[in-house]
Amino acid sequence: MKYHSFSPARIWTLAAATVTQLVRMKIMAFLVVFCVIVVAAGFAFPVMNPEQQLKLLKDVSFGALQIFSVVIAIVSTALLLPRDLEDRTLYTILSKPVPRYEYLLGKLIGVLLLIGAGLVLMDIAFSAVLWLRQSLVLAQSIAALKQEGVATPEALAQLNEFVGKQGLTWNIHLGVLAIFLKASVIAALSLMISCFASSTLFTVVISLLVTIIGHGQGLIREYFFSEGMNQIMKKLGSALLAIITPDLGVFDVLDNVINGELVSAFSAGVMVGTAAMYVTGYLLVSHLLFVEKEL
Amino acid sequence: MPDSTSSPPAVTVENLTKVFKSGLGKQAFVAVRDLTLTVQTGEVYGLIGPNGSGKSTTMKAILGLLSPTMGKTTIFGKSSIEVESRSDVGFLPENPYFYKHLSGLETLLFYGRLCSMSGRDLQDKAREMLALTGLEDAADRRVGGFSKGMLQRLGLAQALLHEPRLIILDEPTAGVDPAGSRKIRDLIMGFKESGITVLVTSHLLEQIQEVCDRVGIMAHGRMVREGRLDDLIAVENETELILADASPELLAEIRAIAESKGAKWIRSGHSRTTLERLFLESTEEPKS
Repeated sequence: MKYHSFSPARIWTLAAATVTQLVRMKIMAFLVVFCVIVVAAGFAFPVMNPEQQLKLLKDVSFGALQIFSVVIAIVSTALLLPRDLEDRTLYTILSKPVPRYEYLLGKLIGVLLLIGAGLVLMDIAFSAVLWLRQSLVLAQSIAALKQEGVATPEALAQLNEFVGKQGLTWNIHLGVLAIFLKASVIAALSLMISCFASSTLFTVVISLLVTIIGHGQGLIREYFFSEGMNQIMKKLGSALLAIITPDLGVFDVLDNVINGELVSAFSAGVMVGTAAMYVTGYLLVSHLLFVEKEL
Repeated sequence: MPDSTSSPPAVTVENLTKVFKSGLGKQAFVAVRDLTLTVQTGEVYGLIGPNGSGKSTTMKAILGLLSPTMGKTTIFGKSSIEVESRSDVGFLPENPYFYKHLSGLETLLFYGRLCSMSGRDLQDKAREMLALTGLEDAADRRVGGFSKGMLQRLGLAQALLHEPRLIILDEPTAGVDPAGSRKIRDLIMGFKESGITVLVTSHLLEQIQEVCDRVGIMAHGRMVREGRLDDLIAVENETELILADASPELLAEIRAIAESKGAKWIRSGHSRTTLERLFLESTEEPKS
């Protein structure tokens, strides 16, 4: 058999095995919990005004999506490499003609595939419930307007526009994309930590810590970098902070989505670019750490 | 017979030293010191030694799982550092573990794909390996439910799957019952006949003695003895004579002649079978 130094087929084999492993660990049971939460949130509190009802549904659903993606990104990635090392499965894999970077890439792609597939399924469920709720809210509001005798064409158009803005739009999917991109960065970060960590627990704790800090980078900058501070020092400090922890604030567009504000193409581009930069950077460092790892 | 003239040696280890760094304030541990060995193509080489003598570290260095502190190792002329050197190697680690969520067949398909195998060929080869290692019935069972012996056989199957020219076996019979152990021994004999090179470590010295052409004995990270097995275990000044149906009178006569010629009679008595052979004869089911 001819050896190729880079084989997408080998990477796919490792990624598929990772997906199978995580699926058979029943990690996707979270999907069922999510659907229950979404349906419950969708049809609870019917006495609220239409805006609040739709906002609450989006708020709860996006919260559940975030929890799913961050937990899976950290826990499943943290489990994979140390477990392969502890079980010595890594010996049999790396004693085959498999370069170490392919192993890392396969594991990360597997986790991202699982998170991506999970988010797509949850997005479908969420969109369906949101659309149903939106239709229901619209019908109820029109009926209320008619009952009050103020169902003028202008009022109906205004209601349509308002519910349409708060209801199912492409913005919702951009919000889900932001969650996926953030999870990708966190998964790559956990993979890097697991390359030098001594245990799964260590990887989980450190990844969680860095994720929390990453969410508060803006606050840290505001607090520590005072107005009177030298510009060069500020830039150096920001760069150092960005190297130590990813700036996860870039992906925080969910409040805008929940409030019905549009996510601009520029913001989406910045999110994709930032995620690509962090994932590539973390993968490179992971490779440098893993290639030197004594098995 | 091993063909050492037309191709590079299957394995070379040149002045290998491996030092494991310890934590702050602790002394570094030297696992292997200045080890040199060569395994010629087609031979069965046994590496033996007590626990902690450096056998597994040497094997890991040969497979590129560890980087040498000093020296170098090659497989069929290619440095172990190159991933390509592993294309022709099948490795069975000591007490192998596999993904518990996969079935026996899925495990072999997974490893086959890592070796760039695919399609019908891979399916057929995987089933052939399951049959060869006696795991046909376990093809669809999750590996998580396999016994230690079954895991060992599955490990052997994944090592042989891509028809490697070199097979490295680290304690292949660990945790395997005598019948399974005998089967592995027979497989190694089969590899030898097919010209496949085997590098094996085992604590069961009798098995090593049965299958190996050459042996290296390691202790404290060093090679203390190495050579052809027949040469190593022969006692220069003693001769073995095995007779069947010899009467006590004949034995007395032979002894008298030997002593009259100045030879020292050390021992005589009934030949003994091995416990392993006795076990196998007693437990083997009669063929219908």
